[in-house]
Amino acid sequence: MDARTIIESLTGKFPEAISEAGIESPIRIQAYVDKDKAKEVCQYLKDSLQFDHLCSVCGVDYPQRNELEAVYHIASYDHAVVLTLKARLPRDSPEIESIVPVYWNANWYERETYELYGIVFKNHPNLKPLVLPEEMLGEWPLRKDYEGFPNKTARNLV
Amino acid sequence: MGEVKEKKTNYSTETPEEIPGVITTTTSAIHNFLKKTKAQDLINWGRKNSLWFMTQPMGCCGVEMIATGCAHYDTDRFGIIPRNSPRHADVMIISGYVTKKYLPALKRLWEQMPAPKWVLAMGDCSISGGPFYESYSTVQNIDEVFPIDVFIPGCPPRPEALIQGFVELQEKITAKKDRGTDY
Repeated sequence: MDARTIIESLTGKFPEAISEAGIESPIRIQAYVDKDKAKEVCQYLKDSLQFDHLCSVCGVDYPQRNELEAVYHIASYDHAVVLTLKARLPRDSPEIESIVPVYWNANWYERETYELYGIVFKNHPNLKPLVLPEEMLGEWPLRKDYEGFPNKTARNLV
Repeated sequence: MGEVKEKKTNYSTETPEEIPGVITTTTSAIHNFLKKTKAQDLINWGRKNSLWFMTQPMGCCGVEMIATGCAHYDTDRFGIIPRNSPRHADVMIISGYVTKKYLPALKRLWEQMPAPKWVLAMGDCSISGGPFYESYSTVQNIDEVFPIDVFIPGCPPRPEALIQGFVELQEKITAKKDRGTDY
Protein backbone atom coordinates (compact mmCIF):
# COMPACT_ATOMS: atom_id res chain seq x y z
CA MET A 1 0.00 0.00 0.00
CA ASP A 2 1.22 3.48 -0.73
CA ALA A 3 0.52 6.62 1.26
CA ARG A 4 -2.67 7.57 -0.59
CA THR A 5 -4.27 4.16 -0.09
CA ILE A 6 -3.50 4.25 3.62
CA ILE A 7 -5.05 7.71 4.03
CA GLU A 8 -8.13 6.69 2.07
CA SER A 9 -8.53 3.52 4.12
CA LEU A 10 -8.17 5.47 7.35
CA THR A 11 -10.61 8.24 6.48
CA GLY A 12 -13.06 5.71 5.01
CA LYS A 13 -13.10 3.69 8.22
CA PHE A 14 -13.27 6.66 10.63
CA PRO A 15 -14.88 9.56 8.75
CA GLU A 16 -15.69 11.55 11.94
CA ALA A 17 -12.60 10.79 13.98
CA ILE A 18 -9.90 11.48 11.38
CA SER A 19 -9.45 15.06 10.20
CA GLU A 20 -6.87 17.07 8.28
CA ALA A 21 -5.31 13.96 6.83
CA GLY A 22 -2.50 14.81 4.46
CA ILE A 23 0.44 13.46 2.55
CA GLU A 24 3.73 15.24 3.12
CA SER A 25 5.82 12.95 0.93
CA PRO A 26 5.53 9.36 -0.33
CA ILE A 27 6.90 8.13 2.99
CA ARG A 28 5.37 10.59 5.49
CA ILE A 29 1.65 11.02 6.14
CA GLN A 30 -0.13 12.81 8.93
CA ALA A 31 -3.59 13.02 10.44
CA TYR A 32 -5.42 14.48 13.40
CA VAL A 33 -7.52 12.09 15.43
CA ASP A 34 -10.35 12.69 17.85
CA LYS A 35 -9.02 12.08 21.34
CA ASP A 36 -11.79 9.65 22.28
CA LYS A 37 -11.11 7.49 19.24
CA ALA A 38 -7.30 7.38 19.40
CA LYS A 39 -7.12 3.85 20.77
CA GLU A 40 -9.59 2.44 18.25
CA VAL A 41 -7.72 4.09 15.37
CA CYS A 42 -4.44 2.60 16.63
CA GLN A 43 -6.09 -0.81 16.91
CA TYR A 44 -7.31 -0.54 13.32
CA LEU A 45 -3.88 0.61 12.13
CA LYS A 46 -2.21 -2.33 13.79
CA ASP A 47 -4.71 -5.02 12.82
CA SER A 48 -5.74 -4.01 9.30
CA LEU A 49 -3.03 -1.72 7.93
CA GLN A 50 0.07 -3.52 9.30
CA PHE A 51 1.26 -0.47 11.22
CA ASP A 52 2.99 -2.55 13.85
CA HIS A 53 5.82 -0.29 15.02
CA LEU A 54 5.16 2.60 17.41
CA CYS A 55 8.21 4.86 17.13
CA SER A 56 7.40 7.45 19.79
CA VAL A 57 4.77 9.20 21.84
CA CYS A 58 5.41 12.82 22.68
CA GLY A 59 3.62 16.05 23.45
CA VAL A 60 3.51 19.58 22.09
CA ASP A 61 2.29 22.65 23.97
CA TYR A 62 0.37 25.44 22.22
CA PRO A 63 -0.42 28.13 24.82
CA GLN A 64 -2.03 30.53 22.31
CA ARG A 65 -4.58 27.92 21.25
CA ASN A 66 -4.89 26.70 24.86
CA GLU A 67 -4.20 23.21 23.63
CA LEU A 68 -1.81 20.35 24.15
CA GLU A 69 -1.17 17.81 21.44
CA ALA A 70 -0.26 14.19 21.92
CA VAL A 71 1.77 13.03 18.93
CA TYR A 72 2.18 9.39 17.93
CA HIS A 73 4.66 8.30 15.27
CA ILE A 74 3.59 4.93 13.93
CA ALA A 75 5.54 3.09 11.26
CA SER A 76 5.11 -0.08 9.33
CA TYR A 77 7.45 -2.89 8.44
CA ASP A 78 5.42 -3.81 5.35
CA HIS A 79 4.88 -0.34 3.88
CA ALA A 80 7.60 2.30 3.71
CA VAL A 81 5.38 4.89 5.40
CA VAL A 82 5.53 6.69 8.75
CA LEU A 83 2.23 8.06 10.06
CA THR A 84 2.20 11.08 12.39
CA LEU A 85 -0.99 10.84 14.38
CA LYS A 86 -1.92 13.85 16.52
CA ALA A 87 -4.65 14.36 19.07
CA ARG A 88 -5.74 17.77 20.34
CA LEU A 89 -6.33 17.98 24.09
CA PRO A 90 -7.66 20.84 26.23
CA ARG A 91 -4.88 22.42 28.23
CA ASP A 92 -6.62 22.48 31.61
CA SER A 93 -7.52 18.77 31.67
CA PRO A 94 -5.46 16.87 29.09
CA GLU A 95 -6.68 13.30 29.16
CA ILE A 96 -6.45 10.63 26.50
CA GLU A 97 -6.97 6.89 26.43
CA SER A 98 -3.74 4.91 26.82
CA ILE A 99 -2.66 2.84 23.82
CA VAL A 100 -0.61 0.37 25.88
CA PRO A 101 -3.13 -2.46 25.15
CA VAL A 102 -2.40 -1.93 21.43
CA TYR A 103 1.32 -1.10 21.43
CA TRP A 104 2.98 -2.39 24.61
CA ASN A 105 6.08 -0.22 24.15
CA ALA A 106 3.96 2.91 24.61
CA ASN A 107 4.24 2.28 28.36
CA TRP A 108 7.40 4.27 29.03
CA TYR A 109 6.69 6.84 26.29
CA GLU A 110 3.41 7.69 27.94
CA ARG A 111 4.99 7.85 31.38
CA GLU A 112 7.57 10.35 30.11
CA THR A 113 4.96 12.41 28.28
CA TYR A 114 2.97 12.43 31.50
CA GLU A 115 5.81 13.70 33.67
CA LEU A 116 6.95 16.38 31.19
CA TYR A 117 3.58 17.68 29.89
CA GLY A 118 1.00 16.47 32.37
CA ILE A 119 -1.01 14.56 29.78
CA VAL A 120 -2.91 11.91 31.74
CA PHE A 121 -3.18 8.59 29.93
CA LYS A 122 -6.32 6.88 31.17
CA ASN A 123 -6.15 3.14 31.99
CA HIS A 124 -2.38 3.15 31.84
CA PRO A 125 -1.07 0.16 33.82
CA ASN A 126 1.56 2.12 35.79
CA LEU A 127 1.29 5.86 35.32
CA LYS A 128 4.10 7.31 37.46
CA PRO A 129 7.15 9.45 36.59
CA LEU A 130 9.80 7.68 34.56
CA VAL A 131 12.94 9.82 34.85
CA LEU A 132 12.08 12.83 37.00
CA PRO A 133 11.85 12.57 40.79
CA GLU A 134 8.39 12.14 42.30
CA GLU A 135 8.38 15.57 43.95
CA MET A 136 8.66 17.32 40.56
CA LEU A 137 5.27 15.91 39.55
CA GLY A 138 2.92 18.78 38.82
CA GLU A 139 5.57 21.18 37.53
CA TRP A 140 5.31 19.89 33.93
CA PRO A 141 8.72 21.25 32.89
CA LEU A 142 8.32 21.12 29.10
CA ARG A 143 5.20 23.25 28.99
CA LYS A 144 5.83 26.72 27.60
CA ASP A 145 4.70 28.57 30.73
CA TYR A 146 7.04 26.64 33.03
CA GLU A 147 8.81 29.13 35.29
CA GLY A 148 10.82 26.80 37.47
CA PHE A 149 14.16 27.31 35.74
CA PRO A 150 16.73 28.26 38.37
CA ASN A 151 17.52 31.46 36.53
CA LYS A 152 20.96 32.82 37.40
CA THR A 153 21.18 31.11 40.73
CA ALA A 154 24.75 29.84 40.47
CA ARG A 155 26.43 32.06 43.05
CA ASN A 156 29.97 31.34 41.95
CA LEU A 157 29.30 32.70 38.46
CA VAL A 158 28.16 36.14 39.58
CA MET B 1 9.43 -12.26 72.10
CA GLY B 2 7.95 -9.09 70.84
CA GLU B 3 9.56 -6.80 73.37
CA VAL B 4 12.44 -4.67 72.31
CA LYS B 5 14.85 -3.93 75.12
CA GLU B 6 16.94 -0.84 75.01
CA LYS B 7 20.53 -1.79 74.39
CA LYS B 8 22.84 -0.74 77.19
CA THR B 9 26.26 0.49 76.31
CA ASN B 10 29.24 0.78 78.60
CA TYR B 11 30.63 3.83 76.95
CA SER B 12 29.26 7.28 76.49
CA THR B 13 30.31 9.72 73.84
CA GLU B 14 29.27 12.76 75.82
CA THR B 15 31.11 12.56 79.13
CA PRO B 16 33.94 10.28 80.26
CA GLU B 17 33.08 7.51 82.66
CA GLU B 18 34.03 8.33 86.26
CA ILE B 19 36.32 5.74 87.85
CA PRO B 20 38.13 6.70 91.08
CA GLY B 21 41.86 6.85 90.64
CA VAL B 22 41.70 6.51 86.87
CA ILE B 23 41.85 9.33 84.33
CA THR B 24 39.41 8.56 81.50
CA THR B 25 38.85 10.36 78.25
CA THR B 26 37.05 9.98 74.94
CA THR B 27 38.26 9.53 71.41
CA SER B 28 36.99 12.91 70.30
CA ALA B 29 38.72 14.55 73.26
CA ILE B 30 42.00 12.97 72.21
CA HIS B 31 41.44 14.15 68.63
CA ASN B 32 40.65 17.67 69.79
CA PHE B 33 43.79 17.69 71.92
CA LEU B 34 45.96 16.39 69.10
CA LYS B 35 44.68 19.05 66.70
CA LYS B 36 46.36 21.71 68.82
CA THR B 37 49.74 19.98 68.90
CA LYS B 38 52.51 19.31 66.43
CA ALA B 39 51.33 15.70 66.17
CA GLN B 40 48.60 16.88 63.81
CA ASP B 41 51.29 17.79 61.29
CA LEU B 42 52.45 14.20 61.24
CA ILE B 43 48.85 12.94 60.96
CA ASN B 44 48.17 15.34 58.10
CA TRP B 45 51.34 14.21 56.36
CA GLY B 46 49.98 10.69 56.44
CA ARG B 47 46.54 11.76 55.32
CA LYS B 48 47.69 13.85 52.41
CA ASN B 49 49.82 11.05 51.05
CA SER B 50 47.00 8.53 51.01
CA LEU B 51 44.17 10.31 49.24
CA TRP B 52 42.17 7.37 48.00
CA PHE B 53 39.32 8.51 45.79
CA MET B 54 36.03 6.85 45.10
CA THR B 55 35.45 5.60 41.56
CA GLN B 56 32.04 7.13 41.13
CA PRO B 57 31.78 8.52 37.60
CA MET B 58 28.73 10.69 36.99
CA GLY B 59 29.26 12.01 33.49
CA CYS B 60 31.87 12.40 30.81
CA CYS B 61 34.34 13.72 33.42
CA GLY B 62 34.15 10.25 34.90
CA VAL B 63 36.03 8.93 31.89
CA GLU B 64 38.89 11.33 32.60
CA MET B 65 38.72 10.33 36.26
CA ILE B 66 39.08 6.66 35.39
CA ALA B 67 41.88 7.49 32.95
CA THR B 68 43.63 9.32 35.79
CA GLY B 69 43.40 6.23 37.93
CA CYS B 70 44.90 4.00 35.26
CA ALA B 71 48.55 3.09 34.87
CA HIS B 72 49.59 5.80 32.41
CA TYR B 73 49.43 8.71 34.87
CA ASP B 74 50.71 6.63 37.82
CA THR B 75 48.89 8.58 40.53
CA ASP B 76 50.24 6.10 43.04
CA ARG B 77 53.32 8.30 43.34
CA PHE B 78 51.07 10.86 45.08
CA GLY B 79 49.32 8.18 47.08
CA ILE B 80 46.16 8.60 45.01
CA ILE B 81 44.51 5.26 44.43
CA PRO B 82 41.03 4.60 43.01
CA ARG B 83 38.79 2.63 45.33
CA ASN B 84 35.54 0.94 44.48
CA SER B 85 33.77 1.31 47.81
CA PRO B 86 32.87 4.55 49.59
CA ARG B 87 33.91 2.89 52.84
CA HIS B 88 37.50 2.66 51.60
CA ALA B 89 37.67 6.16 50.16
CA ASP B 90 38.90 9.50 51.48
CA VAL B 91 38.03 11.73 48.52
CA MET B 92 34.78 12.00 46.62
CA ILE B 93 35.01 13.56 43.16
CA ILE B 94 31.78 15.13 41.94
CA SER B 95 32.46 14.42 38.29
CA GLY B 96 29.40 15.71 36.52
CA TYR B 97 26.00 17.33 36.73
CA VAL B 98 24.02 16.49 39.87
CA THR B 99 20.38 15.95 39.08
CA LYS B 100 17.65 16.36 41.64
CA LYS B 101 17.05 12.65 41.49
CA TYR B 102 20.70 11.71 42.01
CA LEU B 103 21.41 14.08 44.91
CA PRO B 104 19.97 11.78 47.63
CA ALA B 105 22.14 8.89 46.38
CA LEU B 106 25.19 11.15 46.33
CA LYS B 107 24.51 12.29 49.89
CA ARG B 108 24.19 8.67 50.93
CA LEU B 109 27.55 7.82 49.37
CA TRP B 110 29.08 10.81 51.16
CA GLU B 111 27.67 9.67 54.49
CA GLN B 112 29.09 6.19 54.00
CA MET B 113 32.63 7.51 53.71
CA PRO B 114 34.60 7.49 56.98
CA ALA B 115 36.06 10.76 58.22
CA PRO B 116 38.40 12.46 57.41
CA LYS B 117 37.00 12.98 53.93
CA TRP B 118 37.24 15.60 51.23
CA VAL B 119 35.31 16.56 48.09
CA LEU B 120 36.61 17.77 44.75
CA ALA B 121 34.29 19.39 42.22
CA MET B 122 35.51 18.31 38.80
CA GLY B 123 34.33 19.92 35.59
CA ASP B 124 32.05 22.82 34.70
CA CYS B 125 28.90 20.78 35.30
CA SER B 126 29.52 20.27 38.99
CA ILE B 127 30.79 23.83 39.51
CA SER B 128 27.96 25.78 37.87
CA GLY B 129 25.81 23.38 35.87
CA GLY B 130 27.77 23.72 32.63
CA PRO B 131 25.60 23.16 29.56
CA PHE B 132 22.77 22.14 31.91
CA TYR B 133 22.95 25.52 33.67
CA GLU B 134 19.26 26.43 33.48
CA SER B 135 17.91 22.93 33.34
CA TYR B 136 14.83 22.05 35.32
CA SER B 137 16.36 18.93 36.79
CA THR B 138 19.88 19.88 37.91
CA VAL B 139 20.93 21.09 41.34
CA GLN B 140 22.64 24.47 41.46
CA ASN B 141 25.29 25.55 43.99
CA ILE B 142 26.51 22.12 44.94
CA ASP B 143 29.03 23.71 47.31
CA GLU B 144 26.17 24.48 49.68
CA VAL B 145 25.56 20.75 50.03
CA PHE B 146 29.11 19.40 50.24
CA PRO B 147 32.23 21.05 51.71
CA ILE B 148 34.15 21.32 48.47
CA ASP B 149 37.86 22.02 48.81
CA VAL B 150 39.07 22.31 45.23
CA PHE B 151 37.20 23.30 42.06
CA ILE B 152 38.75 21.93 38.87
CA PRO B 153 37.37 23.77 35.82
CA GLY B 154 37.36 22.22 32.38
CA CYS B 155 34.99 20.42 30.09
CA PRO B 156 36.24 17.87 30.88
CA PRO B 157 39.53 18.66 32.67
CA ARG B 158 42.61 16.80 31.53
CA PRO B 159 43.91 14.08 33.85
CA GLU B 160 46.85 16.39 34.57
CA ALA B 161 44.38 19.01 35.80
CA LEU B 162 42.78 16.48 38.11
CA ILE B 163 46.20 15.53 39.48
CA GLN B 164 46.88 19.24 39.95
CA GLY B 165 43.64 19.48 41.90
CA PHE B 166 44.78 16.65 44.13
CA VAL B 167 48.12 18.40 44.70
CA GLU B 168 46.24 21.59 45.67
CA LEU B 169 44.21 19.54 48.12
CA GLN B 170 47.41 18.09 49.57
CA GLU B 171 48.74 21.61 50.06
CA LYS B 172 45.53 22.64 51.78
CA ILE B 173 45.77 19.67 54.12
CA THR B 174 49.40 20.52 54.91
CA ALA B 175 48.41 24.12 55.65
CA LYS B 176 45.45 22.92 57.78
CA LYS B 177 43.09 24.94 55.60
CA ASP B 178 41.01 22.06 54.25
CA ARG B 179 37.30 21.85 54.91
CA GLY B 180 37.35 18.11 55.60
CA THR B 181 38.63 18.57 59.15
CA ASP B 182 37.58 21.00 61.88
CA TYR B 183 40.64 22.73 63.28
